[in-house]
Amino acid sequence: MSAWGLTIQRASRSRLFQVPSLLALVALMILAALVSPTASDGSRIFFEIGNLTDILRQVSVIGIISLGMTLVILTGGIDLSVGSVLALSTALVASVLTRPLLPGAPALHMMLAIGVAVLACGLVGALNGLVVARLQVQPFIVTLASMIGVRGLAKWFTANENVDIGFGKDVAAQFADIFRDKTVVIGSYIAAAIVFWVLLSKTVFGRHVRAIGDNPTASIYAGLPILKTQLWVYSLTGLLAGFAGVLYAAENHQGNPNAGVAYELDAIAAVVIGGTRLSGGQGTIIGTIIGTLIMGVLTNILRLNNIDSNVEMMIKAMIIVLAVAVQRKGRQ
Amino acid sequence: MKAWKIIVLATALGLVGCGPHGAGQKLVAFSQANNAEPYRAAQKSLMEKLFAQTPDVKLVSSDAQQDNSKQIAQIETFIRQKPAVLIVAPNERDALTAVMGKAMEAGIPVICLERDIVQPNYATYIRMDNRAIGRMAGQFMVDQLTKKNGGPRGNVVFLRGLLGVEAEINRDGGAREILSRYPDIHIVADPVANWIQAEAHDRMTEVLRVQPKIDVVYGHNDPMAIGAYLAAKELGRDKEMIFTGVDGLGGPSGGIKKVMDGVLAATFVYPLGVKEAVEVSQKIMRDPSYKPPKVVTLDSIMVTSDNAADLYKKLTVAGE
Repeated sequence: MSAWGLTIQRASRSRLFQVPSLLALVALMILAALVSPTASDGSRIFFEIGNLTDILRQVSVIGIISLGMTLVILTGGIDLSVGSVLALSTALVASVLTRPLLPGAPALHMMLAIGVAVLACGLVGALNGLVVARLQVQPFIVTLASMIGVRGLAKWFTANENVDIGFGKDVAAQFADIFRDKTVVIGSYIAAAIVFWVLLSKTVFGRHVRAIGDNPTASIYAGLPILKTQLWVYSLTGLLAGFAGVLYAAENHQGNPNAGVAYELDAIAAVVIGGTRLSGGQGTIIGTIIGTLIMGVLTNILRLNNIDSNVEMMIKAMIIVLAVAVQRKGRQ
Repeated sequence: MKAWKIIVLATALGLVGCGPHGAGQKLVAFSQANNAEPYRAAQKSLMEKLFAQTPDVKLVSSDAQQDNSKQIAQIETFIRQKPAVLIVAPNERDALTAVMGKAMEAGIPVICLERDIVQPNYATYIRMDNRAIGRMAGQFMVDQLTKKNGGPRGNVVFLRGLLGVEAEINRDGGAREILSRYPDIHIVADPVANWIQAEAHDRMTEVLRVQPKIDVVYGHNDPMAIGAYLAAKELGRDKEMIFTGVDGLGGPSGGIKKVMDGVLAATFVYPLGVKEAVEVSQKIMRDPSYKPPKVVTLDSIMVTSDNAADLYKKLTVAGE
């Protein structure tokens, strides 16, 4: 164990391991290899392609939400409403799909359903952003309010009942078949990750996002478009949560107004494990993706070893604290 | 600098980690929807007890904590472990249908326990008949009212579970089907208490304020019937009416004990289905030519003061 630790320590000095969360992920993968149960032919179940893609599929919904959460946290804000927004999206997409709006045009019907759900969620995000930027109310309070209000909206809209998508041949069932496909889910996550990585690290908008969180006062004096940036950041987060809701509805074959409870906390955990500073200014999309994967890989090895899900929560708690503590130390 | 973190992590995992299941052992995986419900916790304890009798079978179980996505992910991970049998108590029918189909496609026989799914993606479905339970409860109420009031007449209160759920629809519908044959039996109130004792306590208090005369209270599960009893007791009216529930779990906190204590006049056993699930699993594992029955329907038992003590011994899982 100690020899192994030393090897990792040496490796950590090389350029490759400048990102501490990446080191943790690699360590976790090695650990996973060591403790993975074996299949009947002696191969390690953890490294089966099917299992590795299971992990990616399972983290995709939280992963997509975390991308938006990264932007919000970088500006020094927080968005507690994403879980409720996801629920609203599942309800909207399923409701539009299960109504005979466009008979004979399934592709258009699906696009309409997804469009309505994602745009409505974008609007919720825009409203969050507007109140944060315009009325200068703290993001925690604004999004706490919308977490409650949007959950109520989703429940009211569905009369607090699930909207069943079903398994027939209709457009709703076709939608579920397409959007719960592993390749589509993982592909969506990867596509969204690339878009947001480019947005944050290669554009002026990305620089503004970081600058606002790093030094709000200086940003004001520098004349940065703070209002516009915040409005966009919260809107994009809403859009992403809405899109995650579309995938969630397909996976579960239903619109569910009670879906996504505490997802905001899972997303925040992934962001901070990925090295983003909760007070804003510092952090990367790559870090968040790694943070998401750390949680996913950890869950997977614990489950492969049939470890109690309550113990799983305690171990996750330790990982969160450790990850953040190590990164703090690294910066000092 | 960072090595200590890895070491702590590794130790933490090493402490709780365990190796693959032993060679030659057969793996049975059980995916439970929500172990926080007493009925489901009893399922798990009984299953552990029954499988422990055959040392060549290793049972692993997961608890989805009422989360569809979590249950899907847990079943996906079970599929990777290629168990000899997979037993699933689905959280919700739509959400779990596809992943149970995936397990069947992977050649794993699936036993669906208690809740139905949309497509028959199982080798065996073990179902309980809530409609029959509702009818039994209805008949019991008619008999009790006849005894008390000299004829099938009187006032009844229903405490309803979560609306739209199969168990609620049929426990309610079955009882109404019987009661509707008697024009002098009136359901004077039927508030929704969502299966929860505390909510039933509040709703029953409101009903008691409004209704001057109540003969029978029918809670669609035992906790709601007990909540109603507590509300009536607080207002000094518990002797005026009788209370009946459904579930009839064993153990000190279950409904059968409440019948023995005289709190409930009757309860109706909602079978765990575990004995049958284990039997089917054992046959699947040991007899390659065995064709499991597609559906197994289990009957309920009425619990009254006459048979409560016997059933308590029979239905209490050791260690509970």
